[in-house]
Amino acid sequence: MPVTFSSRDGMASQESTTEELHARGVAVTIKDLSIALGGRTVLQNFNVQISRGEFVAIVGRSGCGKSTLLRSIVGLEKPQTGTIAIGSTAGAGKPDVRIMFQDSRLLPWKRILPNVMLGLDRSFLARARQVLAQMDLADRAHDWPAILSGGQRQRVALARALVHDPSLLLLDEPLGSLDALTRIEMQQLIEEIWRSRRFTAVLVTHDVAEAITLADRVILIENGGVGLDETVYLPRPRTRGNSHFAALEEHILGRLLQRRSPAEANPDLAATSGFDV
Amino acid sequence: MTASPAISSRFQLRAFALRALPWMPPILLLLFWQWASSTGVLPGRFLPSPRAVLTSFIELSASGELWTHVRVSTVRAFSGFALGGGLGLILGLLTGSFRWAETLLDTTLQMIRNIPPLALIPLVILWFGIDESAKLFLVSLGVFFPVYINTYHGIQSVDRGLVEMGKSYGLSGWRLYREIILPGALPSILVGVRFALGFMWVILIVAETISARSGIGYMTMNAREFMQTDVMVVGILLYALLGKFADLLAKGLERYWLRWHPAYQPAR
Repeated sequence: MPVTFSSRDGMASQESTTEELHARGVAVTIKDLSIALGGRTVLQNFNVQISRGEFVAIVGRSGCGKSTLLRSIVGLEKPQTGTIAIGSTAGAGKPDVRIMFQDSRLLPWKRILPNVMLGLDRSFLARARQVLAQMDLADRAHDWPAILSGGQRQRVALARALVHDPSLLLLDEPLGSLDALTRIEMQQLIEEIWRSRRFTAVLVTHDVAEAITLADRVILIENGGVGLDETVYLPRPRTRGNSHFAALEEHILGRLLQRRSPAEANPDLAATSGFDV
Repeated sequence: MTASPAISSRFQLRAFALRALPWMPPILLLLFWQWASSTGVLPGRFLPSPRAVLTSFIELSASGELWTHVRVSTVRAFSGFALGGGLGLILGLLTGSFRWAETLLDTTLQMIRNIPPLALIPLVILWFGIDESAKLFLVSLGVFFPVYINTYHGIQSVDRGLVEMGKSYGLSGWRLYREIILPGALPSILVGVRFALGFMWVILIVAETISARSGIGYMTMNAREFMQTDVMVVGILLYALLGKFADLLAKGLERYWLRWHPAYQPAR
């Protein structure tokens, strides 16, 4: 039962301004990608095409290979077969790809500002300060990461990625360990920054609502391939109260839960887990 | 109104008591020792009174003899530490970082580690006589292993996630090493250094007691020949002080280098 959404008003209003800003984002083409980890095939003949400046969310059950996909895009996993093309093949320099992990992975022995400037020389100092200020962390520049809260650390990690002005930002469940309120704030922040900079973004999440809130497209991975590929035609900023939102969420969640065999299905768990799958 | 200064002074008293508390057992012991000596319960042949030890300390330091021995011992200890610790650090970094070095060296080093350095004393005397190099060799060997093992372990246990993150930010080679691997291994390396600094004195005491013509160990052994128990006690107490000093040094290094570590952060 395919669900279609026709409300395109949100996208239309942006159309005029996005074209020149699209310059920053790069397209990502993944062809026939197969990856095996420890003898187990995680992704098999996986194909996906991501447009320049697009925000794509990837959902799927634990262990479906969604994180592996991100890690292979950034080069942390080597594919057995297949190709991953980032940007144009014309080769105008290597496109800047940054990844943000579930844990902030700040270096505990560097203060916040040097952490943000990791891998960069002093000429980026002003820019690093500016990005920190944008994350509302200007006054924490000289603190140690150990005394920051989880949400603040993730904002630092986001700042560290943004200083490089990436053309492709990969987000590997970056909000998974945050409390509900901080998570909503971070979602708003990520959306705001993506809208102003228009890099290409790929978000891996287990939270379907989060995927629908942020993404232009939600891709569901199952059995090593694409199970669902839904375009989200909802105006931004999106609210969960919207009926289209709820219908789409139910549709994707239904598909996720369907994969579970009756023997291991636990209706109580499914009912109480809310949006998280 | 009058309560607040009373409370604050009571707090000060508490703070003072907390600071003074660790010193109570040694002070009480000292008082008991003095009492036992002056009443004759403890004969001077076995243990001189604290006052006699103090007098002997003043005499020895006034003549300059004491300081010569202390200087000789300290130079020995720290040059041995620099040599053995430096080698341990370099080899630990090597075996921790490169698989080929680990395969090549680790088995051999683990075998040698099981030989107590002091068991080598007969051989060392044969090889080096009672020369400076004998002491240097023994101390170096003693401090080598704590530093080596903890460095190796430290490098091995650096958070893989941070290394991965560094690589994804374009760090590689020496920069990855300097910014992520070395600082990540530092807490463990410093544990090794602290242990080595303690062990350094133990080895040196034994080495100097057995074969030396200067140093605190020599002074103590020489005093035994003449039954100068007070000088012997001065020597023993000096070792305690120098050991404490080395420990403070190690703590200071930790406090400086690990100031980012949650364990060393001032409470907020």
